[in-house]
Formats: sequence, C-alpha cells, structure tokens
Amino acid sequence: MNELELGWWGVLIAVIGGAIRISTPYLFVSLGETLTEKSGRVNLGLEGTLVMGAMSGFAVAYLTGSPWLGVVAAGIAGSSLGLLHAAVCNLPRVNDIAVGIALFLFGTGLAMFLGKPFIAPRGPRLPSLELGSWSAYPSVRAALEINALFIVGLILAPVLYWGLRHTRWGLVLRTVGDSADAAHALGYSIERVRTLATMAGGFLAGVGGSFLSLYYPGNWNEGLSSGQGLMAVALVIFARWNPLSCFWVSLLFGGAGALGPALQSVGIAQGYYLFNAAPYVLTLIILTWSSSTRHRLIGAPSELTINR
Amino acid sequence: MIPLIEARGLSKSFGAVRALDDVWVQFAPGSFHAVIGENGAGKSTLAKCMVGYHRADAGEIVIDGTPHPMEHPQDAHAFGIGLVYQHFTLVPQMSVAENLVLGRTDLPPIIDWKAERDRIDAFQRTMPFALDPEAPAFALAAGEKQKLEILKHLYLGRRFLILDEPTSVLTPDEADLILGSLRQMAAQGVLSVVLITHKIREVLSFADVVTVMRDGRKVGEGAGLQRHELEQMMFGRAISAPPASRSASAPGPVYLQVNDLSALGDRGAPALAGVSVEVRRGEIFGIAGVSGNGQRELVEVLAGQRVPESGEVRIGGAPYRCTRSEMRTRGVHLLPEEPLRNACVRTMSVADNLALRVFDVRPNAARGLVRRRVLDRHAEALIRSYGIKAASMDAPVETLSGGNVQRLVLARELSERVSLLIAQNPCFGLDLAATIEIRAQIIAARNAGAAVLLISEDLDELLDLADRIAVMFEGSLVFETSCARADAHEIGRHMIGRQEAHALS
Amino acid sequence: MLSAGPWRTIEAAAISIGAIVVALVVYGIFIALNGIDPIAVYRVLYLGAFGTLFSLEATLTLAAPLMLTALCTAIPARAGLLVIGGEGALVIGGLAAVLAGVSAGGIPRYLGTVLVLLAGALAGGAWIAFAGALRLWRGVNETISTLLLNYIAIALLNHLISGPIRDFGETLKATSWSIPAPFRIGTLPYLNVHWGLAFGIVSCVVLWFVMRRTTFGFAVAVLGGNIRAAQLAGLATARLSLAACIIGGAAAGLAGAIEIVAVHGAASESLVVGFGYGGILIAFLARQNPLAIIPVAILVGGISASGGLLQRRFDMPGAATAVLQGCIFITVLAGNTLYGRWRPSRA
Repeated sequence: MNELELGWWGVLIAVIGGAIRISTPYLFVSLGETLTEKSGRVNLGLEGTLVMGAMSGFAVAYLTGSPWLGVVAAGIAGSSLGLLHAAVCNLPRVNDIAVGIALFLFGTGLAMFLGKPFIAPRGPRLPSLELGSWSAYPSVRAALEINALFIVGLILAPVLYWGLRHTRWGLVLRTVGDSADAAHALGYSIERVRTLATMAGGFLAGVGGSFLSLYYPGNWNEGLSSGQGLMAVALVIFARWNPLSCFWVSLLFGGAGALGPALQSVGIAQGYYLFNAAPYVLTLIILTWSSSTRHRLIGAPSELTINR
Repeated sequence: MIPLIEARGLSKSFGAVRALDDVWVQFAPGSFHAVIGENGAGKSTLAKCMVGYHRADAGEIVIDGTPHPMEHPQDAHAFGIGLVYQHFTLVPQMSVAENLVLGRTDLPPIIDWKAERDRIDAFQRTMPFALDPEAPAFALAAGEKQKLEILKHLYLGRRFLILDEPTSVLTPDEADLILGSLRQMAAQGVLSVVLITHKIREVLSFADVVTVMRDGRKVGEGAGLQRHELEQMMFGRAISAPPASRSASAPGPVYLQVNDLSALGDRGAPALAGVSVEVRRGEIFGIAGVSGNGQRELVEVLAGQRVPESGEVRIGGAPYRCTRSEMRTRGVHLLPEEPLRNACVRTMSVADNLALRVFDVRPNAARGLVRRRVLDRHAEALIRSYGIKAASMDAPVETLSGGNVQRLVLARELSERVSLLIAQNPCFGLDLAATIEIRAQIIAARNAGAAVLLISEDLDELLDLADRIAVMFEGSLVFETSCARADAHEIGRHMIGRQEAHALS
Repeated sequence: MLSAGPWRTIEAAAISIGAIVVALVVYGIFIALNGIDPIAVYRVLYLGAFGTLFSLEATLTLAAPLMLTALCTAIPARAGLLVIGGEGALVIGGLAAVLAGVSAGGIPRYLGTVLVLLAGALAGGAWIAFAGALRLWRGVNETISTLLLNYIAIALLNHLISGPIRDFGETLKATSWSIPAPFRIGTLPYLNVHWGLAFGIVSCVVLWFVMRRTTFGFAVAVLGGNIRAAQLAGLATARLSLAACIIGGAAAGLAGAIEIVAVHGAASESLVVGFGYGGILIAFLARQNPLAIIPVAILVGGISASGGLLQRRFDMPGAATAVLQGCIFITVLAGNTLYGRWRPSRA
C-alpha cells in the first residue's frame, strides 16, 4: 500500500509520533522549572540552559562516543547555569526575571561560542524503543519510536509528584516557595533551598536540551532551539505546578509543534511558517486563559514574583 | 522538666536604634510570665533574641545555669523553646497536618502520612482546642491560625512558649480561652509561658509575674502589681492621656454610602458579601472586627485598589469611581493601613510623596510640566507644620521611621479640606506620642464636619473615638450600636460570630 | 554631604561602570582559558569600536536602532512593566514600513518617508500595546507575552517574505518588495552614518524630558514605584500602562522602519539580528534612564561592531561579542544589590 493513501490518518499518526518526540524537551524543562518555581523562584533563562545543554551534550557525546555521557554532561552544564542564576538572584534587591533574561542571552551566546567546532559532524544518537516495528509504513514506525529520554521523563513525573508530598525535601521545598516567613521561622536556609532547586531545574533543562542534539533533530547548529525553554515556563503555569499535569501538557505542546511538519507531509506546504508559530500562539492563548487579574492563580507558590 | 531560663544583660541595636539595652530577666519553670510595654519598648526584640531569630549584640541566654548561644531558631528548638510570632508563619497551601509535621526536627526522609495522622489525632485529643487536619491553612480564620501556631509548638513538645502579641487577631473571648488554657497548662507544670503584650487587662487576668519594659530597658518587675503601678512604669505617668474631646453637635447629612458591595479576595474567594454602610458628615463611624473579615478589601475598594463584583459606592450623593478628579472635588482622603506599602512610593523622595495628590494641578504644574520649586516649597511647609523627621526632603521615604511615614501620609491627606476621611488601623505599631497626635487629628477632622470611616482592629480605639460602631464579620456588617450603648463583650461576641468554622467539638 | 539627587546619579554611573569593568575582567579570563591573549582582545575591541573613523561609523550605525529598542524596555520599565519585546516590535515595524511604502507609490518623497516611519512606529506601538492590554485585562505576565510575541513576529516575517510579499527577483535570500527609492533616507553630513542616529538621539532626549519634567512622567514614576499608591492617588493606571507600552513599542517599531528606510530598503531576515535583545541590556545598564541610553547604546554598539574584527583577527566565533554582552548583563544585575549601601544616613 502507498504511503500517501494514509492521507489524514497519516497526519494523525505523524502528530502522535511527533508529540512524543517533540514533547520530550518540554517535559524535562517543565519538570525542572516546576521544581525551581515551587521554591519560589522563576528561571526565564532556561532557554539559554537548554541550548547550553544541547551543545555540551553533543560535544561530550561526540568526543566520547557515548550519548548517555553527553546527557549527563548536558545536565551538569545546565545545573552550572542554574547555580549562576541562583547565586545572582540570592543577592538582595535583584530581580529574578531580569536575571533570567540575562542568562538566556549569556547561555545562548556561550553555547554558540563554544559549539563552533561541533556544527558539522554527526554524533552518536540516543537509543529508542521501537514499538512500531510491526508496521509496513515507515511513518507509523517513526511515530511509534519512543526515545529513551521520554521514558525517563515518563517515570520522573510521577516520582516528582509523589516526592513533593511524601518526602522531607518536598515539604521543605514547598515551604520555602510558599512562605518565606515560615521557612525562616523553621530555620531553613531559603537561599540554599532555592539554589538547589534552581540547580536541579537547570540539570533537567540541560538534559532536555541534550535531547535536541542527540536525538531529534540530532545534531548541533545555530538554530536548534526556538523558545522551548520559554514556553516551558508558560507550560508550568498552565499545569498549575503539578508534575503530572506537566507530562500531559508537554504532550499537548509536542502535538502542536508536530502539526506543521505533519501537514507538510501530506502536501500542505503553504503557511509553513505560520504553523511554526502555532506553539507560541498556543502558549499565549493558554496563558491568557489561565491568568486572571481578579485573583492569584490557585496552586501558585506564594513567593513567586511572576504572579504579581 | 521545664528549664529555668534567664536573659542576662541582653543588648541589641538596629542601626542607630537601640532596641534592647542591658536587659536581665529570669523566667521560672511553670510560670505565666508577662512582659509588658508600649509599642517600641523592645519586648518583641527580647523575645526574638531569646530564640535566636536575632543575634544579640551583647549578653547571653542561660539555661539551667549554663549559657548557650542562640544564633538560630533551631538552637532554641533544641531546648524546647518556641516563639509564636506576631505574623503568621504558616505555609498557606499546606494543610493543618502538613504544617504541624513540618516543624519536626526528626522528620524522616519519607513521610508515612497514615502514622502521622494517627499521631496528630491522638495529640489533638489532649489539647483544649483542635483543628481539622485536612483544612488548608489559607482557609483558616485568623483565630484558628493563631491556635494552629500554638499547636505547632505544643505538638513538637516545646515546654517553654513565648507568645508575641498573640491576641491582636483574636476577640476578647477567644483571647480569654487561649490564654486561660495556657495558664492552666502552666499551673499543671506542663509549660512555661511568656506573654509579650501591651494589654494591661491580659496581664492582670493571667500573669503570675510581670516584667515592664520601656525604651529597650527593663523598668520594673514583680507579682501582683496593680494597674496604676503598671501604667506608671510603662508610661512614666499614672493614666494614659484622655482621648481628645468630640464636639457634641449632631451629625449632618449622609456623605458616604456603600450599597450592597461585594468583592473577591486575593485567592478568588468572596471577601465582601454585600456590605452596606452610611456615614454622615461630622461623625466617626467605626468598624470593628478581627482582621481577615473583609476590612482590608473594603478599604481597597474605596481606595480604587480593588474592583468590586457588584454593589455601589456613593459619595456626596453621586456614584464614586475613584478617579483623581472625583477625589479632589469631593474631598476624599485615605489613611490606609501599612502606609509604606499602600500609600507611598518607597523609592521616591519625601517631597514627591507629599506631592502625590497635587502634582498635576496649579500651581504645582503648568501646561503639563511639573514645577519643581513650587513642589519643594509645598513639601517644606508640610514637613514643618506636621513635624515630619527626615534627613532631607529629597531622602527616599523608605528611610523614615514608621511614625514619620504615617505623619507624612497624614500631612498629605489632612492638609487640604477633608470631606470624607477613611482611616484603617491608623495607629498600629506607633508609639504613644504619635498615637495621640493622630487620634487628635482624626477627631479634629470630624469636628470640622468631615465624615470619618474608622476601621480598626483595636476595640479600645474605637470605643474612644467612634460615634457609632459596627462589627464586620465574614464580609458583611453584622451589628451596629451607638457609642453610648456599646458593650465590649457584646461587640466581641459579634466579632467572632456564632459558629467557628474548622473547629472540632 | 551631597544631596540625594546628584548622589544617586554618581552612584548609578559608578556601579554601572564598575559592572562593565568586572565583566571585562571575567571575559578576559574566559578568553585566556580559550588560549587567546586577553589584552590583545581588549585592544581589538577598542579598535573595532572606536579606533578608526570607519569603526566609529559602524558603531554609530549599530547604536542608532539600539537606542530605540532600549527605549522599548526602558519606558515600560518606568511604569513597572518588564517588556522584552523590542525584537518583535522592530520586525513588525519593518513589515509595516514596507507595506506602507509599497502602497504609497506616487506621493512626494518627504511625505512618503514620514508615512513609512510613522507606519512602523504605530505598528510597533500596537504590538507592545497588545501585550500591555493582555496584562491589564487578563493579568498575563508581560515579560512572557512579549517574548512570545517576538517569536510570533519573526514567524510572521518569514511567512510574508517567503510568499505573499516576496520579491521573486531577489534570488540570494527571501526578500520582500522594496519601498520606492525616493522614500529612502541617506547619511548625515560629514559622517557615513544614516539619519536614524539623529532619530535615536532625539527620541532619547525627548523621552527623558517627558519622563522627568511632565506630569505624565511623574504619574508613570508613581505607577512604576508602587501601583497601590498610584491607585490610591486616583491615577488612571490602565491608561498610563498602555501609554508606556505604546511609546516603547513605537520606538522599537521606528527602529524597524529606519532599518528599512535607511539601510535595507526591503524586509528580509536581516531585520532579525538581535537589536531587540541588545536593547534590553542597554536599558538595564542605563538604569532605565533615556538620557543614559545614548552613551550606553554607543558602548554596546561598539562591542557588536568589533565582532567582525574579532572574528577575522582571532578566528573567534561570531558569538564572541554576545558572550561579553551576556557577562556585562549579569554583572550589572548583580551590581543592583549595591544600590543604597552608601546612602546619607537615615532620619
């Protein structure tokens, strides 16, 4: 049977497969940002962290031949940027939103600078689970190819959800993010908790970035990321700081991002760039819908600056 | 065994302000020891130094004869010392159970919630008051929050409890209940209680021993002291100054009319549920109530800081929309609570803050341009006539002390003709001199024919100043009386309402 | 003892300069770790920015749009909004300029130029005002929304220049239709820098005056200082916020229109070179003061201008100057913590 005869089914399959693929970086970045925001801080620099993670992940994987080492290196690079973010934001009178923007620019520039030698070559790829090997259609097989990081994320989300309620660290994190007075009275070091949370967030964001360079699209170049780190911040708001919701919303965003290429595959080529804009427009719509001037968002950590 | 705790020679300064000056106090085990003084006397600082929230500059804390450095609240916790702060230290989005468990120093890495719940239930059965463990902290009423703060310490086995002005958010009856229970536990040898307060009534009713502080120093101590002795020590004279007199003239026409006002609070829950008020010219209408029953939201609506859901505000007979020109033409002036947060721009200068109402009208402005020199002259005059102490008129307003900030706002608001004055907790946290000044100004405005809406959590203040008093409870006015027929206990009962949510049995 | 006013200016300048110095040192260490002599790099940075007439002209050409995009962050910041949509507003301004220019074929040249510039400014103003409106009516955080709008604007640009308004005669890269040649503007006398520089400087001076001396500027300062105090004083906070957004957006839109009218003549991906993001850095370095934006924009423009020379001399990637700018941004923000430490004593 001919590929093209799949028609609109083909689009659906491509969207599902794309959703899984494209959602993976969103998943990791949003889980990371959830941790950071639960501690009361916003990290808008995740876009830079993502790009840094992509570059360092690719570089290390290329140099060592192991994609997993690349992933770990990406995480470490990400948590270093997280440490920088936290260190500057811990100083009194510093606006964490502005620092996020600065880190976005710094991280992106640094990654472009250090990554120059790695633009051309091809590097090792992360493994994946081939759930679609029964099919005769390459598009179905491609759609059901579930990458390893997605599986890691799939497990991580409920673990984080459980951890926030049932571990001491989860309770401490939520305390620092919801009431600095309570944290101070209990003797917790607010700076330390936020630093660790931002580093953890940076680690996960870096890992999310490594996905881009080690799986899909699978190489390192200048145009690799385009706002995923930023959209993850909106994603976290939409998911009401709940790790489980982050998983589902990431899939939603992944699907939106897959729409353009999927439609292209059935020959709808016009408006390609407009479809590229779909995730941003979706994010804006979601943000508009979720926010309200009348009251604070339910579930928002009270110490977050982003919600007034 | 409850330890014997002493403060020896404690001193603490904040910049140029000497908050504690060589204070020596001994707290016997099982006693109910009150520390009394007016605002700014240093009692709160003493408490915070004793638990390590602040580090004292000099002196030491001695426990059972051995000095121990208190650098951290956790140092105090190790000895079973706990401080119930003036502000709430609850985590809003956590439940009562989570808040209780949070303070445990031996919190295991993984929490077994079933076991914890059992422990909490068993614990609550031994307490004179109890709360629903699943209720989220942000949904508790102020009185219940206070109870939770106390329960937190008791749950963690603290035997030496310091309470910093615990009853400021409670009705007289609630205060009696909580203090009475604590006194009982002290008498049974279960606890030592240190009560930090400025209310002589509480000291006389519950304390075994009283320490009196003034200006950071201990000025008196003893058991069985009488009211006039305490007053003498606290203020240096026997009787606190009498309230300024209100002129006897009958009130004029209705000037402020609030009709069935409803509004949502910060978290989307209803805060005002159909409030209706009428204030006449030449009278002070007081609204009493425990904080958290909608007073803040009411003032915010009147100040244009909150948009109501329904209802109407009318001033001078016409609808009021909080625009600048309406404020000017109808003489509306506001003294909100926490003036630095609500009525001033921290980083702008004293002169600019004084000009907030008038910077765009002649002669301060011409053809859209601000005339700096005219503004400065305006500021100078106000600084002089109201006695605002500031380094210079260009100093940022955040460098002023609390009393001077309030004077600044007063100067700005009362220096023009006032037709309607809305004041909220105007004397909160101020020393006696400033308090007397401000109350005198409020009465003067009333005598001059202004309509005054006075919202206060200090019932004594209302009884002194107001012509009529109403009680605000859960977003609406539930009771009204004239000053002549006012009975503090009856008012107090309305402040708490008939049923208390989230309490068990 | 200095009175508060001049003291604050000195303090601000000292801290900003200190931050730049620290950033340069850190950058020097970074360069050294990459095996290149930092002193040589400093020298080339200077050379490429101000060393020759040619480099000075390049610096000023870059500074012109940077001044305007910096205003896009600085003016809303004074009203308490953190807007980072300069990049998007510039792009939209450029698109509007092209569309206006192309549809106004026959009109006299000066009128045409004015129309094109106006179209760019209005479009940019509307773009940011949209974000401002979302903030006012739905509480959407303006930093996130303007950042998203940046990406949307770029997508819109790409879409339009690849089809609907494409000039298929241009084969090198996707380019839009060109505006009529008479509408283009030339260079300043004696200096090979286009008139956009004059627009930039004049805008900064005018807005500084407006913010400092008018009742509008005072009201915006109150709003930005404490919205509750502004509401209490009965100020029309919604209108003030929107006005600030429109002004900021118009500045960035004007920058986009100038790029069309003075540099490219048509819209293409050359509109997306990071002027918007550079403007954010400048606004923070200049502490949101429109007058200070002028020298700071020249400085940052200089750094960008020397990028090419750095690439050629040391074989460094194009992102070399971006790293330096990022360092400066971080040190400036960290330096914010030092404000008020050396204040005249309290009352």
